[in-house]
Parts: sequence; structure tokens; C-alpha cells
Amino acid sequence: MSRIFVSIILSSIFVTGAAIAESDPIEARQHLMEDTRDGAKVIGGMLKGEKPFDAKAAMAALKIWKKTATEAGDLFPEGSESGHDTEAKSTIWSDREGFDEKMAIFNTQVDAAIAANADSLDALKAAAGPVFKACKDCHDGYRIEK
Amino acid sequence: MKRLAIALGLIGLAAVLALLITRPSGLSADDLPVHVADASNGERVFHAGGCASCHASTETESETPVLGGGLAMDTPFGIFRVPNISPHPSRGIGNWSLLDFVNAMHMGTSPDGRHYYPAFPYASYIRMSLEDLVDLKSYLDTLPEAKERNEYHQLKFPWNVRAGIGLWKLLNLDSAAVVSVPLENEVLLRGRYLVEGPGHCGECHTPRNWSGGLNKDRWLAGAPNPDGEGRVSNITPSPKGLAAWSQGDIEYYLETGLDPDFDTVGGSMVEVQENLSRLPAKDREAIAAYLKSTPPLEHDPGD
Repeated sequence: MSRIFVSIILSSIFVTGAAIAESDPIEARQHLMEDTRDGAKVIGGMLKGEKPFDAKAAMAALKIWKKTATEAGDLFPEGSESGHDTEAKSTIWSDREGFDEKMAIFNTQVDAAIAANADSLDALKAAAGPVFKACKDCHDGYRIEK
Repeated sequence: MKRLAIALGLIGLAAVLALLITRPSGLSADDLPVHVADASNGERVFHAGGCASCHASTETESETPVLGGGLAMDTPFGIFRVPNISPHPSRGIGNWSLLDFVNAMHMGTSPDGRHYYPAFPYASYIRMSLEDLVDLKSYLDTLPEAKERNEYHQLKFPWNVRAGIGLWKLLNLDSAAVVSVPLENEVLLRGRYLVEGPGHCGECHTPRNWSGGLNKDRWLAGAPNPDGEGRVSNITPSPKGLAAWSQGDIEYYLETGLDPDFDTVGGSMVEVQENLSRLPAKDREAIAAYLKSTPPLEHDPGD
């Protein structure tokens, strides 16, 4: 019994490892950014008045952003500077500290926005505004404009 | 020999005449309006003009603008060094009269009678009202003095010859509006004023002609990026421009920096957008209305 258990664990580690090794960090971060933008469309659409306020949908979008804040920082390893039409700017690698700092601010603002648990459009506006600003501040220095 | 002397004499005379015709000119004190300065409107003009984007001290990040300059603009003509325009009496413009200020903003002429390079966008600012300039100066006077010393531009020949700017002005300095709008439409008039005047949007969004002036046939149709790779976008209401953007999309973008896909503003436009977000909502509404009313132009690969 325990042998089966161990082999399941081992094989799951192996499969996970293979999955990580297989996935390209550039593609992975591009998918992550697409998801992030889907979240931005939900919340931005409400703030802009294109969609009605929906607390549940807003929270789900914030959770997407939290996933980005947790995972994105690790998806810019050395050697992933070019390819796949990446919009990552070389400053990410030449100024890693500055980039990490911007990602940390993004994470902090997402946490604060989740904790705010917005129950009105005004509350969501106040909670999400600083997150959008964090997106912009990081894109400003670390993304190539096309 | 005699013929050569005459020919040289004629060339010399032509050169003197050319310099006379293109010498720095300015207004006189009689041209200044009777107007009580309003510094709060001056602050609005300051943000509309994006003065801080170039003139803010490169070292400070204070809320109150400190306009010590120092930014180096690396262009195909060479490096321009942005000057100190804080109220410091010797290093800034604290000793300037109102007339000095108006001549700089409208005519590109310095208090000591020299041409300014058009990297300072006076070819747009010439469309600003004198009342707004009075207000702007009164606002600038309230800002802190900055101690930065001005550095010299490092330009390549022939652009390092300032006298040549006179010819440039003759070709390109024109206070006439670019796009015609119905005179009774106050929103469009306001939008045109903001975009073509203080906002100086055309300086980056319009391609330049052989003389380095704006090609008004391609007004706002997008242009090569002056400070880097890629292009500055087409903001006319064509499919290659803002056709898919509603009036509200443009207003929202200028207010928040988010485009219709909720992606964030980037590049040099970040600071422009942040300046414009400080304007009253009706100014952004006017800008959006004007942009939607400009002639829709397609992308021209020759630009």
C-alpha cells in the first residue's frame, strides 16, 4: 500500500517537474499577463460604467491578480530576455532590484484591495485604483511599448 | 576679378538680408493684455502644457513642481539640455518680465534676443492666449527656486548655428489653427485650443517635413518615436487610429491611463496622461471631442 503511495507521489513530482521544464517562461508569463488583463477588464469595466457592479466578480478578478503577483516575479529568469515577441524590457535584468520592488508594490496593493472586500462601486474604485497605478508604474519602466 | 567681387558682395548682401529677415523678433509691451493674473488657472495651464514633464528637476520627486531642468533629450540633431525655468533669479527665469516670458512662449525668442531651438515647442505655444500666459507666469512665480545650472546643448553641425533657426521659424512658426471647427461649438474650440496650443500633442503625434516642421497634411496621423524605437500612435479617428475608441474611451484613457482593453498607458505618454488627469473633466471631454473631429488619416509608411 505504502509503496503505491510513494510511487504516486514520486510520479506526481516527476510529472510536475516535467511540466515546469517543458513550459517556456516567456509563454508562461504571457499567459499570466493575458489572465491579468481579463481581470482588469472585469474590474475596469465596472469602474468605467460599462458593466454593473458585482462584488463577487470583482473579488474573483482580484484573485486572478493575486496569482499574477505571486507567480510573475519568477517568470523572468536569466536567458528569457528574447523570443516569442516578448515585451519584457532589458531593464528587468539590468535593474532587477527596481523590477522586484515594483512587483512587490503590486503584490501589496492587490492584498490591500482583497482585504478591502469592496461592497460598492466607490469602494472598489478606491481599492483597485492603486493596483492599476502599480500596473502602470511597472509597465512604464519594464515593458517595451509596441 | 571684378565680377567675382560683385558676386561675393551680392552673396554677402543676401546673407545679411536673410539674417535681418529671420532675426529674433518679439512683441512689445503694448501687446500685453490688461488682465489680472489668476494663478489657479495658471496651474491648469501648466498641467495642460505638461511643463513639468521636461522641466522638472531630474533629481526631485516632490509634489510641488521643482523646475530645475537638467533632462538630456537625445535627438537626431544632438543632445538638448532642458533649462531651469524655476523662479531662481539668475539660474532660472525669476528675473524675467512678463514680456520676456511671452516672447519666449510665442516667438521662441530669449530675453537677450536669441532664437530658442524648437525642441521647446513654441510653435505650438504660439497658439496660446496671452491671458493664459499671464496666468501661467503668475503660477510659475509661486514655485520653489531650483539651483541647477543650465548646461549647453551639444548639437551637431549645422544645427549648432542658432541663426539658422530664423529660417526654421519663417517656414514653421504660425499661430493659425490647424483644424477648422465650427465657431459656435465651444467644446470643439476648447479641445482644439488644448490640443494644438498648450497640449502640443502634434509635436509627437504628427510627422515632420524636410525642414523639421510639422507636416500639417498628416496632422496627428502618428510619427516615428522621437526618443526611441517604434511609433507614436495615430490619434485621428481612422481605423489605424482611434476609430474604435468612443468619446468616453478617450476621456477615460486620459483620466486613468487605461485603454479600452484596460491595458495601461506606456512610454512618454505616461507623464502626459498624468498631467492631463489633473485637468477638469470637461477639458478632457473637449480634447476627446476634438480628436474625434479631426480628419481621419491612414498610416503612411513614408512618415
